[in-house]
Amino acid sequence: MDTLNFIIKNYTNVLFLTWEHIFMVSISLIIATAIGVPLGIVITKNENLAKKVINGANIIMTVPSIALFGLMMPVLALIGHGLGKVPAIIALILYSQLPIIRNTYVAIKNVSPSMRNAGRGMGMNRWQLLKEVEIPIAIPVIVAGLRTAAVMNIGIAAIAAYVGAGGLGVYIQNGIDRVYPEMILAGALLVSIFAILVDAGMALLERALTPTGILIQKRLSE
Amino acid sequence: MITYDHVTKIFGEGQDTVTALEDVTFTIEKGEIVIFLGPSGCGKTTTLRLTNRLESITRGTIEVNGKNIMDMDTVQLRRQMGYVIQDIGLFPNKTIADNVAVVPKLLGWPKNKIQDRIDELLTMVRLDPEIYRNRYPAELSGGQQQRVGVARGLAADPEILLMDEPFGAIDPINREEIQDEFLKVQEKLKKTIAFVSHDIHEAIKMGDKIALFENGRLVQYERPEILLTQPKNKYVSDFVGADRALKVLGIIKVGEVFNPEPQNVVQGFEPAQTVLNIMDQKKEKFYVVVDQDKPVGYVTKKMIKYEKGPVSAVAEKFPVHLRKRTPTRDALSYMLMHDFQTLCVVDEKNSFQGTVTYDDIQLKIRESYAGEEDQ
Repeated sequence: MDTLNFIIKNYTNVLFLTWEHIFMVSISLIIATAIGVPLGIVITKNENLAKKVINGANIIMTVPSIALFGLMMPVLALIGHGLGKVPAIIALILYSQLPIIRNTYVAIKNVSPSMRNAGRGMGMNRWQLLKEVEIPIAIPVIVAGLRTAAVMNIGIAAIAAYVGAGGLGVYIQNGIDRVYPEMILAGALLVSIFAILVDAGMALLERALTPTGILIQKRLSE
Repeated sequence: MITYDHVTKIFGEGQDTVTALEDVTFTIEKGEIVIFLGPSGCGKTTTLRLTNRLESITRGTIEVNGKNIMDMDTVQLRRQMGYVIQDIGLFPNKTIADNVAVVPKLLGWPKNKIQDRIDELLTMVRLDPEIYRNRYPAELSGGQQQRVGVARGLAADPEILLMDEPFGAIDPINREEIQDEFLKVQEKLKKTIAFVSHDIHEAIKMGDKIALFENGRLVQYERPEILLTQPKNKYVSDFVGADRALKVLGIIKVGEVFNPEPQNVVQGFEPAQTVLNIMDQKKEKFYVVVDQDKPVGYVTKKMIKYEKGPVSAVAEKFPVHLRKRTPTRDALSYMLMHDFQTLCVVDEKNSFQGTVTYDDIQLKIRESYAGEEDQ
């Protein structure tokens, strides 16, 4: 109840921090998609490169977020952005790469060879095959990767408050510093609700983007 | 027409090479179905994939209507050849109509022409366009999907059709049916077809000619009945199977063996006792009774011994009549089932054309194998 009161009393601030959170997560997701999806597609043509890229993304993923902020600080300080939103967004983009690249890569790879064979044999060029066949078939798994990345990033963005990026993590951080349970809870609650809503939204997006034929195929094979 | 001239395909490079196809030379004539037959790894699929350049030729040339395929644009080449594959390869994200329309769309046909073509093709493969046009592949049975696969291969009305085990994934009953339908369609369309199969039955049934491969070499290229009756070596005779005499029966039609002027035929109005006398004289035990020119049945001595009237009164009906196009295999099967040595051949109007006996069939088989040593 006290937590709810806290939120209501500070609603302008809550809205502002929420907006910051949404901004960080969405801008990083957009950029990460623009990098990760094409990269995931390109590496399906080169096994060696695929291994290196996915391993690289894996290594980034294993670095704890706090440590990653620490590592980036001196580098970004050179351009005057050691603290704030820039390191946060860069970190979110980096973390998103593994789910996005891996899902894209696996999804395209899993398109059955007979589809590819049929497409090529009928005279589709590389681009037509990708556009007409491979991507529509792969899209549910690709979007599932984006969904994982988005939800994960909401959590990581909360930690980014420690490098002064703002967002709902500010309540958690300040609340701990000031031993103010209502504030901690408000931050935690809002981040959680945000994550759940985004997860549901992405699930809807996944469904909306999946071609009807694939939905029917899935339904019938269950 | 497709001409394969000393075609060799080697996979891999340096030390790690596999010769998939070695010095293969043969020609597929216009309007013929040629079956590429052999066990897996024999080079049959490679030969097909070389034809639309899904694989590149190592040595030799392939010409389509006198034009070297290497001088043509790959994508253009593929668009002018229909391609039907084993796993069907229908795109699950596209409706049936859109699947069929793939090549016409690539070729940039106008929309209404594509629509008409889709309906025409679906009707041809016996799928009602009204029902199936807007469905998705997942909603169709395997056999129906394969029909769509065939329709898709024919979409742009290509002169040449490449088929890679197109009916391999279908259960035997539906396979027979779809094969029959396909042959009917082919009778009208007269496409030049290269058809990969590992099934000797399918090859015999579908092929105007069979190209039998072994380890990347073309062993024998012949009409099915010649392949069966005059196998070139042990590999061929083993492949076609010990029951190849029975398989020949499937190819040879009743029309090729029947006797148009059998001696043991009698008109129905003849008195039974007269016929009995003739039978005694000729030592014949079995007579076919014909009325006008329609076969009414048969009589044996036992049946007419005490009959005073005409033979037609006691003649027993034949269980089945044969047509000239009936395979001798079916004729023989009826004979075994119904315990008959003689059956009648009739035309469309049920008019008597002659008879087939067990001996007629046997004689023809022996002729086919004449000159071959016993194995």
